Amino acid sequence: MLNKITIDDATVNERVYKLNLGPQHPSTHGVMHFILTLDGEVVISCEPNIGYSHRGHEKMAENRIYEQFLPNPPRMDYLSGLIFNYGYCQAVERLCGIEVPRRAEFIRVITSELNRLASHFIGAMDFVMGLGAYTPFIYGWDDREQILDLLEAVAGSRLPYSYGRFGGVRNDIDQAFCDGTRRFIDRLRKRLKDYHDLVTGNIIFIKRTQNVGVITKETALEFGVTGPTLRGSGIKYDVRKHEPYSIYPEFKFEIPTREEGDCLSRYLVRMAEMEQSLNIIEQALDRLPSGPIRAKVPRFVTPPAGECYFAFESARGAVGFYIVSDGSRIPYRIKVRAPSFSNLYVMTKICPGHFLADVIAIFGSIDVTVPEIDR
Amino acid sequence: MTELIQIIKDIYAFFGYDLTVGLVGLVVLLAFVPLNVVFMVWFEMKVAAHITLRPAFMRVGPHGILQNLADGIKMLGKDLITPKLADKFLFWIAPIVIFVPSFVGFVVIPFSPLMQIKDLNVGILLIFSFSSLTVFSILMAGWSSNNKYSLVGAVRSVAQNVAYEIPLLLSTMSVIIMTNSFRMSDIVAAQTPVWYILYQPIAALIFVISTTAECNRSPFDLVEAESELVSGFHTEYTGIRFGMFFMAEYTNMFIAASMATVLFLGGWHGPFLPGVIWFIIKVFFLIFIIYWIRWTFPRVRFDQLMNFAWKILIPISLLNLMITAIVLKVI
Amino acid sequence: MKTSSNPFIQYILDILIGAKSLAIGMWVTARRLFKPIITVQYPYQKITMSPGFRGHIEFIRFDDTKTHHCVACGLCARTCPSHVIKLQGEKNRAGDKKVGRQYIIDFSKCSLCGLCVDVCPEQTLKFSREYELVFYQRWDTVIDIMHRLEEKQ
Repeated sequence: MLNKITIDDATVNERVYKLNLGPQHPSTHGVMHFILTLDGEVVISCEPNIGYSHRGHEKMAENRIYEQFLPNPPRMDYLSGLIFNYGYCQAVERLCGIEVPRRAEFIRVITSELNRLASHFIGAMDFVMGLGAYTPFIYGWDDREQILDLLEAVAGSRLPYSYGRFGGVRNDIDQAFCDGTRRFIDRLRKRLKDYHDLVTGNIIFIKRTQNVGVITKETALEFGVTGPTLRGSGIKYDVRKHEPYSIYPEFKFEIPTREEGDCLSRYLVRMAEMEQSLNIIEQALDRLPSGPIRAKVPRFVTPPAGECYFAFESARGAVGFYIVSDGSRIPYRIKVRAPSFSNLYVMTKICPGHFLADVIAIFGSIDVTVPEIDR
Repeated sequence: MTELIQIIKDIYAFFGYDLTVGLVGLVVLLAFVPLNVVFMVWFEMKVAAHITLRPAFMRVGPHGILQNLADGIKMLGKDLITPKLADKFLFWIAPIVIFVPSFVGFVVIPFSPLMQIKDLNVGILLIFSFSSLTVFSILMAGWSSNNKYSLVGAVRSVAQNVAYEIPLLLSTMSVIIMTNSFRMSDIVAAQTPVWYILYQPIAALIFVISTTAECNRSPFDLVEAESELVSGFHTEYTGIRFGMFFMAEYTNMFIAASMATVLFLGGWHGPFLPGVIWFIIKVFFLIFIIYWIRWTFPRVRFDQLMNFAWKILIPISLLNLMITAIVLKVI
Repeated sequence: MKTSSNPFIQYILDILIGAKSLAIGMWVTARRLFKPIITVQYPYQKITMSPGFRGHIEFIRFDDTKTHHCVACGLCARTCPSHVIKLQGEKNRAGDKKVGRQYIIDFSKCSLCGLCVDVCPEQTLKFSREYELVFYQRWDTVIDIMHRLEEKQ
């Protein structure tokens, strides 16, 4: 199966042709363009062509005050919108030295983990849909709908949230939310068994994903891969444990890791992370304190001159916000390190030698959100 | 009224029995086949929708029965676009050729003791030989579209269809050596006390899997894989030409399910209702199982497909044939 | 998955374990086939939105003035990231407070971030629960908030 044909032989060979897995395609999640060079059905080289979703978020940041930039981070990675929202708020809080009250931290953690669950439903099940099974995808959306209903009662939107503010969150959660979340956790624990029956144990699925798209430890470190993609290759790195922020050190949770590095292990890491998120939510709900939900912050915040880098873990990997301020209300520069950008380029190294059908499987298992690549 | 009967008697006297039955059968088929496709598509959408927790069509007609008829009429009014560098003759003729084998297959199927257009001596072989022509048409469609996606899909389909015909034939042989005849009506008549599925469960399973692969249905539908190649060999076809490919796929499935009913489930045998109704019920039960399989499993990859056919299905069906022959010789 | 050293027995075990996993998967789908549907047929059945739902902004009717409390300070128009709000106010006499007289939003640019609601010093704005906003022309997305307040009477 692994014909190692190099590109020099290929230019002489007449069977080689170029195929555009074009910007419009039913299974590249977003506007993603690959230029594949194929020999029969075996891939020789794979080049991603990005830039179709560039909207200029970082340039927009140079013309707006800090509060006006708040709607922008959730629209970069719309599937972990709340995590990006809090990340930006925490970056500015670190720069200004604002301290967030305890209750707001707990609310942030609970809603972040719910958002991570919702994103993993799409990430894992979109991968399965790229392989051809349409039903688990729909079951995943059914469970995700419960999460979105819970978050809508609190944050007001279903996908691009604008709930976090500098110093805390915008409005409080009530008892109905806590009860709804507990009921949801119980229901989901039973439904996860259905997913394992339908997908994980299935012989067709296992044969399709085992030993396909193996990312070795050296390759992962070379390309700067983070997130479940890295943890599926055997390296145990999670920003929540290794560069802790907010109140994550107070919770007991594990980091699931797998050794093999193929598509199956990345999928299993995501399913295991969903269970860990449920544990964190339960511990946070048990210990929720009362108190204010927002610190006293001036209406338009003016950070001192300086720079600050803040890293946090979204559903796709380690995100970084780097803010340079010159002492006025408008930032001098905001740079966002998006995990999908680094994760995507691993495909240039691991795709050659696989079949065309595997390229779709590998792309789905890396779980990229295309607008995050281009911002 | 008496003139009408006189006219029919004249036609009968002029043409003879066979041709009259042929003409009547042709007229009935021309009406039956499109309506059958409409019903089958509605049935599939309803099964798929209830598996995925939603109602499908509810608006056009009660519970959406007339939706596909409306779709077909809409399709008749669409533009027929031919790509500029396509091979014009092959591009035009491919949708026509794909429909012919399915139509011919209807000639020998026994819907009931009387309703069979022509009871050929070699009925089963007729259906098998004509179903190989669908590969021919898919290859023509894929090649003449001048599109890399279509070509990849068409080339895959040749290998898949050829590979899965062998287990199909071997499992059919296990039934035929039990009845000593290729006639469809003999096979149905021989199943009177006990249906053959109880004597040959493994052959029935292999037959259902192979016909799923022959009809290019999931989990073997890499020919028209919607997630990889945008639409496979029928990417460039628009309007009623695409409609012909679509109808041919569903009619093929109907014929495959009817063959399975005749061979394994006892044809038109059944307690109270007339034979036709039992036949239709059994055929749609098998079609329901094919839909159920489609909406549960992911797709297999191409080399795993060939592995499955050559390394697993063919040895098991050969073994089955040998055991059947030995048992028949001993008993 | 069980393994064995003899390749022939491994072959048979693979087939049996694979067939069992397929049957389990089909059983899951068959169970869901008979459960009730979870979608809502929209124009014939409607859902009520939760109180926190964000539609376009509108004024709160206060009891003391029987209308809004807007003083036309312009903070909301300056805070909006997308320049959605346009407003005008008037003063009756020198020394009085201004009163807002015209308040127009261009909803096609609004991102429902809530900064205007938070920054208002009189707390006179809130989110409505309108979601059936369909327009035939692009200029119909310009909504006059004061007019809506009068209409809701």
